[in-house]
Amino acid sequence: MTVRTVVVVGGSTAGATVLRDLRARGYEGRLTLVDPERGTNRPPLSKAVLADAGHEATVRMDHSSLDVEHVQASATRLDHEARTVIASDGSEHRFDALVVATGSRARRIAEAGQTGEIVLRTVEDARHLRERIADASSAIVVGGGFLGLEVATAAAKAGLAVTVVDVDPPLQRLLGEHLAASICERAAALGIAFRRSGAALVGGPVRGVRLDDGEEIMADAVVSCVGDEPATDWLRDSGLELEQGVVIDDHARTNLADVYAAGDAAVVRVGDTVVRGPFWANAVTQGRVAAASVLGLPVDAPVVDHYFWTEIAGLPLKVVGPLPLEGEPRVLEDAGEGTGLLAWGSSAVVAYGIRRSVPRLRAVLRELSERGAG
Amino acid sequence: MRIIADYDRCEGHGLCADQAPDVFDLDDEGDLIHHFDGAELPAEQEAAGQRAIDACPVAALRAG
Ligand SMILES: Cc1cc2nc3c(=O)[nH]c(=O)nc-3n(C[C@H](O)[C@H](O)[C@H](O)COP(=O)(O)OP(=O)(O)OC[C@H]3O[C@@H](n4cnc5c(N)ncnc54)[C@H](O)[C@@H]3O)c2cc1C
Ligand code: SF4
Repeated sequence: MTVRTVVVVGGSTAGATVLRDLRARGYEGRLTLVDPERGTNRPPLSKAVLADAGHEATVRMDHSSLDVEHVQASATRLDHEARTVIASDGSEHRFDALVVATGSRARRIAEAGQTGEIVLRTVEDARHLRERIADASSAIVVGGGFLGLEVATAAAKAGLAVTVVDVDPPLQRLLGEHLAASICERAAALGIAFRRSGAALVGGPVRGVRLDDGEEIMADAVVSCVGDEPATDWLRDSGLELEQGVVIDDHARTNLADVYAAGDAAVVRVGDTVVRGPFWANAVTQGRVAAASVLGLPVDAPVVDHYFWTEIAGLPLKVVGPLPLEGEPRVLEDAGEGTGLLAWGSSAVVAYGIRRSVPRLRAVLRELSERGAG
Repeated sequence: MRIIADYDRCEGHGLCADQAPDVFDLDDEGDLIHHFDGAELPAEQEAAGQRAIDACPVAALRAG
C-alpha cells in the first residue's frame, strides 16, 4: 500500500525526528502532527535553561519548513480499525501510518490533594523552578539520578544549600560504584549534601520531606526528580500492547498494523523482556527507524543507541555503550582527579570531565572491540 | 538568516551535520565546522539550517 497520510502524535525529539526523516527520505504525502505544544528539546532544560532564562527560546522547535499540518490538541483516542486518531478538539485524523511519540511525563510523589510539588519536564517547569531557585536559600532534591543531580548542581551554583535524598547511593544503579563515587565527591565539594533515605513530601503546599526515620527536613524549594512515566494513557483501550510503554520491535513496529512508536513512550522488546531507555539518543534513533519503516525502506539505524550524556557539578560526562557500567574501568587517558577517558572492558567508553566528540568516542569503542580488549 | 554556533557548548553530537550537510560538518577530530560562520545562509539552506538548530541536543546553535 502506498502511504499517503502519516500522522505523528507528539512532536518533540522522537516525533520531530520522524517528521524530518520522512521528508529527508523523500516522502511527499500528507504529514499531520498532533501535539498541543511546539516541540521541546529537553536536555538543556536542566542545564543551560535552569541557569539562564536567555536560553529558554532555544529549546522550542520549529517544524515550519517541513510542510506539516500541526493540530494543536492532545490525542485522546486511537481507533485502530478505522485507522483514526481522535483529538481533544474533536478533530479526527485518518492515517495510512501512525507514529506514537507522546514521550513521558514527570513522575510525582505528592499525596492526592497535596499542592506545590515541583518537577522538571517542560519549559514551564524549568521557568518555575528557575524562579524558585532565584528566591530560595535552600533546596531539597528527592531522587539522586541524573536529573536530580543536574538540578542539585544548578541550585548549588546559585548559592543554595542543597540536600539530595535517595534510598540508593546516587547514580550508582546506572554508572556503577567507581564513577558514581567520583561524581558525588565533586558534588559534595560544591556543597551538595546527601541523605540515604526514602522521602515523603510534607506540607501543603510542600515545604519539606519526612525521612524514613521520621526526621523532617525543610527547605524553600523541594523538587521531585523521581523518574518519568510514559504518556500512553490515551492508548489504554486501543489494542496496543503496553508494558511501561508501547512495545516495539527492531523496526519500531507495534503489535498493530500500520502503527509505530518511538522515544520515551516506547519500550523495545528484547527476547522475553522489554527494555526502557528514556534517553535522547534513543528518541532520535527510534524516530529514524520508524520513519524508514513507515516508508517500507530498509532500516539503517539501530533501535537502541547506547549513548548518553549529562553534566553534573560542572563536569560533562558522555557514555558510549550500554548502561549500567559494572566493575572497575581501565583508564585510557588520565586527566587527573578521576577525570579522563575510561573504558569498561570493550563494551563502554566514557569521557568524564574532558571534551571529546561523540564520533571520536564511538571510534575508540570500535577500536577496543576490534582488538577484543578486556 | 544567520546561524550562530556556540563552540564551547557544542558537544560534537553531529546532528546538525546530518540535517544541514552543506552548512555544518565535523572535522576528523569530531569538532564542529560551520561553513557560514558570521555570514548569511544562502536562501536555499535556510530550511535545513532551521532543522539543524532544532536537532542540536545542547542548543548550541541559534538563529541570529
Ligand atoms: C529536564 C530533562 C533533562 C534531560 N537531559 C537528558 C540528557 O542530558 N541526556 C539524555 O540522553 N536525555 C536527557 N533527557 C531525556 C530526553 O529529553 C528524553 O529522552 C526525550 O525528550 C524523549 O523524547 P520524546 O520525543 O520521546 O518525548 P518527549 O520529549 O516527552 O515529547 C513528547 C511530546 O508529545 C506530546 N504529547 C504528549 N502527550 C500527547 C498527546 N496525548 N497528544 C499529543 N501530543 C502529546 C508532548 O507535548 C511532547 O511534545 C532529559 C529529560 C528531561 C526532562
Ligand atoms: S548538533 Fe549541536 S552539539 Fe552536535 S555538532 Fe552540531 S552544534 Fe555541536
